[in-house]
Amino acid sequence: MALPLEVRGLSTTLFTRRGEMKAVDGLSLSVGAGETVALVGESGCGKSLSALSIMRLLPDPPARLVGGEVKLNGRDIVTLTEEAMLDIRGQEIGMIFQDPMSSLNPVATVEKQIVEVLRTHTDLGRAAARERARELLELVGMPDAGRRLDAYPHQLSGGMCQRVMIAMAIACSPSVLIADEPTTALDVTVQAQVLALLKKLQTDAGMAMIFITHDLGVVAETADRVVVMYAGRKVEEASVDDLFDAPLHPYTAGLIGATPTPGAARAARLADIPGMVPPLNALPAGCAFAPRCPRVMERCRRERPELSRPTPGRLVACFAAEKDFAPKDGA
Amino acid sequence: MERFAIVGRFARNRGALVGALLILVVALAALLAPLFFPIDPLRIVGAPELWPGEDPAFPLGTDSLGRDMLAMIVHGARATLLIGLFASAVATVIGVSVGATAGYFGGWIDEGLMRAAELFQTIPNLIFVLTIVVILGSTLSNIVIAIGIVSWTSIARMTRAEFLALRDREFVQACRSMGMGDLKIIVAEILPNALPPVIVLSSLVVAGAILFESAVSFLGLGDPNVASWGRLVGDGRQLIRSSWYISAIPGVAIMITVLCLNLIGDGLNDALNPKLRDR
Amino acid sequence: MARLLSLHDVHVRFNTAAGVVRAVSGVSLDLAVGETVGLVGESGCGKSTLGKAIMKLVPIAGGEIIVDGVDIAPLNRTELINMRRKVQMIFQDPYGSLNPRSTVGRSIAQPLVIAGWKPDATAERVETLLRWVGLPADAKQRYPHEFSGGQRQRIGIARALALSPKLIICDEPVSALDVSVRAQVINLLEDLKTQFGVSYLFISHDLSVVEHIADRVAVMYLGTIVEAGGRDQIWRSPQHPYTKALLAAAPIANPRAARARQRTVLQGELPSALDPPTGCPFHSRCPIAQDRCKMDKPALRPVGGGALAACHFV
Repeated sequence: MALPLEVRGLSTTLFTRRGEMKAVDGLSLSVGAGETVALVGESGCGKSLSALSIMRLLPDPPARLVGGEVKLNGRDIVTLTEEAMLDIRGQEIGMIFQDPMSSLNPVATVEKQIVEVLRTHTDLGRAAARERARELLELVGMPDAGRRLDAYPHQLSGGMCQRVMIAMAIACSPSVLIADEPTTALDVTVQAQVLALLKKLQTDAGMAMIFITHDLGVVAETADRVVVMYAGRKVEEASVDDLFDAPLHPYTAGLIGATPTPGAARAARLADIPGMVPPLNALPAGCAFAPRCPRVMERCRRERPELSRPTPGRLVACFAAEKDFAPKDGA
Repeated sequence: MERFAIVGRFARNRGALVGALLILVVALAALLAPLFFPIDPLRIVGAPELWPGEDPAFPLGTDSLGRDMLAMIVHGARATLLIGLFASAVATVIGVSVGATAGYFGGWIDEGLMRAAELFQTIPNLIFVLTIVVILGSTLSNIVIAIGIVSWTSIARMTRAEFLALRDREFVQACRSMGMGDLKIIVAEILPNALPPVIVLSSLVVAGAILFESAVSFLGLGDPNVASWGRLVGDGRQLIRSSWYISAIPGVAIMITVLCLNLIGDGLNDALNPKLRDR
Repeated sequence: MARLLSLHDVHVRFNTAAGVVRAVSGVSLDLAVGETVGLVGESGCGKSTLGKAIMKLVPIAGGEIIVDGVDIAPLNRTELINMRRKVQMIFQDPYGSLNPRSTVGRSIAQPLVIAGWKPDATAERVETLLRWVGLPADAKQRYPHEFSGGQRQRIGIARALALSPKLIICDEPVSALDVSVRAQVINLLEDLKTQFGVSYLFISHDLSVVEHIADRVAVMYLGTIVEAGGRDQIWRSPQHPYTKALLAAAPIANPRAARARQRTVLQGELPSALDPPTGCPFHSRCPIAQDRCKMDKPALRPVGGGALAACHFV
């Protein structure tokens, strides 16, 4: 059986007055049923544009999909018409955004917004759709669900709005859910509630989930597998345990070192990564991370490392990491 | 660098560029009027009611008294543009002062000033201008002040809105936390950030002021010593059936100038609005 | 240790169209010379408002704020400028805290100009400050939009350092920054502390950052401090049920530890500050609340290990 989501060589370019910028450059990833893949990186690394590319929701101009395929349950959706995509979005693939307050229509009630999704994709009648909306709100743990149906978004807190967004995203039981920083705007106790809810919904329905975040703590809590992006490219992929136990790419190691871990013995200093993410229109030749990399070699400045598989189940794009795994002379 | 970038974005807007060039032509004509037509434009120089093209010496013809239309248009550009600019300056000074004070301090000061602005907005503008001119007398400076007094409210509202948005920004709080005085914060910190949309509005007020002055002059209440375009239109109205060109030519000049000013306003809006950059 | 900052029963209220918001209600807190105190809590708990009250950016409705032995409430303009030499602030939004139309040099020089420095001395000082925060000297002629978020935060830090303050109030200084840059800024703050002996009141919602940087921690909930104590004390044995819940909810960047720990997810959300619960502010979400908590507001009292907690049942 085909995987719920398989992405191959996805490339998205920003066409701006300052030139063309490869915001997503040849991204491949696959997500199995019931699996959570975290897409991690700092702002500008292309993680959100990757999600919008998969959803075919790119802001055009300036962003346009220039290559690659996105297979949803075995069917390539890159070539589909916009009308066909309308059916697929919400039905087979759902998305939750970072800012729940501005993702909801401020002048429509919660019920109207959920019912609209249901009526677009199913042939439920008005009364049945209303009943289903109430069930969904209960499912996402909305306190006092029956009464909240008539509420407007501004009457709800950020956490409740995000629950409504989740209810809308899962209304038609999509096989794939993309969550783009769904808890970044929420307080830590509410974040814990939403993360627990997403985990439960996913386990119950066996959804494939892409979880986009910059927070390694959230990654450790939610992901099965992790894809680390830097400057539009995947630089490392591993299972969540492998990644945190032994990061292979120096950038991943830097991110983990830069994240304070509560409860750990107090480090004198955090391991910071010098410099900053290069702008997409001024990427260095060779490896994009080379100017900030503690393990940089001469080769890295000339040549761009491709993804390699140093050990089973892991991918990394780094010459230094390849060298660590290369068979030693005389061994 | 920043300045050049704004000019570049402005020049990308074709309409704005055309508008700016035409206004430049009008302004040059106004400046150089004494050079081209050294004699008083109100002197009678030829036969009355010569149609445009009838006599090569008077390309735009002559009016009912035999005065050169082209000379009057070129000299009139001066009066018309000056009235527009000064009236807009008066409106901007009043509007920015009121708006900045209201927006920055808020509370009852804001309430009071905005109620006052509403009072001005409820009176029909043209009638208000005419009343002031009739009471104070038909001199150029009175007309300018009158137009300024009726035009400042929109600028005040715009400035107030900008100040409301900016006064809670962290850089303003940082200034307050350092102990910077209110006046300095308003003038040196917030105002430069609030000005772009205000400048756009001011350029539109210039256009509005020219129309006001034309209306005042058309009704015969303009300064009798100044041959503004509005007065030329007014002068021609008795002959509108026979020699309509006498009113039409200055009318077209007003129309083109106002249109160009609006185009410039749009262009400035695009150039100064950072949200549209890079598109 | 000498007290640099003392708050006694500070109250802050805002009048809004919907009613009176009690943003801060009765906070007492001390900060010693050379100490970093972390102020933690969720949005709307009043932690930022408290920071602004110390800077006199919002008026207090009751209580005392004493900076370096001086009550700041009755100060006149000149005395306030003197007080502000001792206390400076770093803001959250690196994009909003610098005037986009001022050069970086002018922004950093502002406190010096207000303090009456001569132009030569000011220019020299600005260059020193830029060097301290790790920015090139030519940064002073440039505008904020030419810098990244992390660099702008360095500019904000340089401005706060200009008059060699004794205390810097850091209002979520790294919340808007990327992970790798966040570590740079935290390290810079720690280096400056070692170098100049400056104290920080570090306001943040991010527990892991506070745990990394603070010597002592105060946890706020709905305008009051519910627990305060040494950093290790709070993390190893939190006493107040809210502190426990907060720690349990904070994600740990370690998948094995994250799976191993028991998670009690706190139900419900923060009550509105317009209509705070009677009695203990936390009772509406508290897993161990009893009838007494609805009527009787618990006071902060010693719970051992030098920590204070406001709960009837610890």
